[in-house]
Amino acid sequence: MLAISCEQNSNSIVVYTTVDQVFSEPVLKEFEKKTGIKVKAVYDTEETKSTGILNRLIAEKDNPQCDVFWSGDPLRTAVLKNKNILYPYTSKAAKGIDNVFKDKDNFWTGFSARARVLIYNKKLLKDNDVPQSVFDLTDEKYKAKVAIANPLFGTTTFHLAALFSVIGDERAKSFLENLKANDLVIASSNGDVKRRVVKGEVYCGLTDTDDANEAIKEGANIGVVFLDQKGIGSLIMPNTVSLIKKAKISDNAKKLFDYLLSEDTEIALAKSCAQMPLHNGVKLPDGVLSLDNIKPMNIDYNKTAGKLESIQEYLKAWVERK
Amino acid sequence: MIISHNKSISSNLLYTIVLLPVLLLLVLPVLNIVVLTFFGTNFPESIASINRDLFLLLLKSLAVSGIVALISTFIGIVLGFSLYKSDIKYRNVFRLLILIPLFISPYILAVAWKDISVLIFDYNTSIFEKTYSFFGMILVHSTIYSPLSILIIGSALSNISKQMEESALLMGSFKDMFFKILLPLIRPSIITSFVLILIFSISEFSVPAFLGFRVFTTEIFTQFSAFYNHNLAMLQSLLLIFICVILLVSERKRISDSVFLSIGTRGREVKLYSSKKIVVFSYIILSFAVVFTVFIPVSILVYQSFKTGTSKFMEAIFLLLPTIGNSVLLAVIGSIISVFIGFVAAYYSEILNKKLMNMMLLVLFAIPSTIFGIALIKFYNNSLLNFIYSSFGILIIGYVGKYSFISAKLIGNSIKQMPKSMEEAAVIQWIGFFKRIQKIVIPLVLPAIFASFIINFLFCFGDLGTSIMVYPPGTEIMPIKVFTIMANATESLTSSMALIVFLVTILLVSLLFFIFKKIIAKYNVNY
Repeated sequence: MLAISCEQNSNSIVVYTTVDQVFSEPVLKEFEKKTGIKVKAVYDTEETKSTGILNRLIAEKDNPQCDVFWSGDPLRTAVLKNKNILYPYTSKAAKGIDNVFKDKDNFWTGFSARARVLIYNKKLLKDNDVPQSVFDLTDEKYKAKVAIANPLFGTTTFHLAALFSVIGDERAKSFLENLKANDLVIASSNGDVKRRVVKGEVYCGLTDTDDANEAIKEGANIGVVFLDQKGIGSLIMPNTVSLIKKAKISDNAKKLFDYLLSEDTEIALAKSCAQMPLHNGVKLPDGVLSLDNIKPMNIDYNKTAGKLESIQEYLKAWVERK
Repeated sequence: MIISHNKSISSNLLYTIVLLPVLLLLVLPVLNIVVLTFFGTNFPESIASINRDLFLLLLKSLAVSGIVALISTFIGIVLGFSLYKSDIKYRNVFRLLILIPLFISPYILAVAWKDISVLIFDYNTSIFEKTYSFFGMILVHSTIYSPLSILIIGSALSNISKQMEESALLMGSFKDMFFKILLPLIRPSIITSFVLILIFSISEFSVPAFLGFRVFTTEIFTQFSAFYNHNLAMLQSLLLIFICVILLVSERKRISDSVFLSIGTRGREVKLYSSKKIVVFSYIILSFAVVFTVFIPVSILVYQSFKTGTSKFMEAIFLLLPTIGNSVLLAVIGSIISVFIGFVAAYYSEILNKKLMNMMLLVLFAIPSTIFGIALIKFYNNSLLNFIYSSFGILIIGYVGKYSFISAKLIGNSIKQMPKSMEEAAVIQWIGFFKRIQKIVIPLVLPAIFASFIINFLFCFGDLGTSIMVYPPGTEIMPIKVFTIMANATESLTSSMALIVFLVTILLVSLLFFIFKKIIAKYNVNY
């Protein structure tokens, strides 16, 4: 049984990532190629709502196997920070990144960002009918024709927590109740939202820019809208990188940390999944928006993570209510 | 009858040699997490959360899975009869085709069926959207689990003595014989099929989660993955384990003389019905089943794979090729160990009345996969056992823990049917324990050993729930690769990967059937 144990290599590093393998693996391979350091990665699945990794990190807390955690959003990282699993590190490579995308205690640093967007089926919605604000989705003309992913998981959790932070609990709850009354469709994941919009089950749905980009690459007849550009703005979700607290923090871990924050990584992610670089002046490929062109939702990422904890029971009850 | 050689040193030695690793490597991790749960700091809060609503949810899950088990078992009776008792051509082809839903992941089948329903039905009313998750779950689960029922009931049908049926036909009509002889004779298999499918369905998470249908397993998952409350998730899992154990123990009590799955008929002649009515009925019903459960979902996968050309299919081959060797090797090792442990547990339980190991395997089988994964992490992830945790050994432990009970169950029921006189005669002749096992018991239960190997192989090869929690960093096995790539991959790539997994599985299973047929033929056992 142990004869087939895995290759051990001192010049290696273990990274756990919740970022989809199709996007994260090429970046890690490039790091291997440039540094000669072997990267042993653990990826997550849509079936487990990308939470398998987080649960694994929590369960492994007393004897961490992982060196670097690369998350698709800051919310999950905040959970690990609260559970005392992370190790603070300030990277020189983070110099050009705005402080708003960094943890104040240096437990995580953000890079390449996605945004929450509305995608709509161009066949089913005329230009004039396309919602421009998230609050438009309660309009009766969209009854039973709007989808969002289950808000207990993934970036939808983040989106709703951000809404609660920005507009206040009372208004946010009222908005969610109106959505529910408008027969909002709750899909199993952002990928499922994309599928439903592309196949015309619903007119439109909230998802992330990478899902929207994939649908467009597949030739789907969909449009993408950054919501609330005249109001509260769109939610921007940076990737984050963190070191895992363990007896010895390896130099290789820091090298990967620095590499993920580099402009090279941001360019690679911009090309593969239209993520927006956080460094100023990075040359963007065609079709990728610069953060300068989007009005961002004004939030504090740490406070939003805290907000989530206080609204989670409400969200669970809201999802379960028919 | 229990053979009176309990005190044989060799027999006790074998039992101890197998029991100890089962206890230390598989059961101890679970006991450890149970203790951690009960002595955890937030235990009082967790226990307070076990309320009336949760029990109602458990009842709802039992009811839904009960419907799935009823439908699957009914299909098992009808299709089992058509496959095993009617004199139709291409019987073996039908038998293989009908097993296909077992080779495809429940999650992928759920996605395929949802796509089909979108094509067929219109989503104009919200009522449909809200109710389809219930019917969707019943449909997908029944599709997945019916083949198990067909195997269990079909094999029981083929073990019924020809003379008994012919005598009954002389006395009355076919209808009388079917309802008064056949059905009562296969009643234990019907109960077994019902109970096993109920347990499989109530423990399955991916389909209700995808369809947005709230059941007990989705609640456990929510506590685990949205609230990161491992304590409460574990407590809720204990409730589920308790229900599963109750079901299996009551099933065990009801089927003391069960005719269970075995792929051989041990020389007994099988009565095949060749009347035109039965043969035509069988062709119609089998063709319908093949079209409905195999042709439609597989066609959707093929269409989605190739709608943009062959490039995505080639990309999928390129992605999955490096994972095939590891996955097959691990599944084969896991299945061999599971079958060995299952055989020992079954033999000692049925012949020597030592039921402890069987009960342990039953509890391990009933634990939700994710919780079992967490139990393995908590136990093995330390400096002392790191050599196991950071190797493929942890995956094999996961497979063996989750699936050995299936072997114990299948082989145990075959051992029940074994003529005891042969082994008793050998005991009188002072033939040693190991010699008796080698020369008498194994040849008699060989078909069941092979059947359980194939079923174990299928489960190990497709395991995701436990594997995703413990697979060593930097390694690749097929189901993990498929599901990690699937997140945000194009539809055609996802379908191509599902199709390749399906093709590889069907190829391997056909190969295993071919090898086993040759081996069984050597032992002169009908197959």
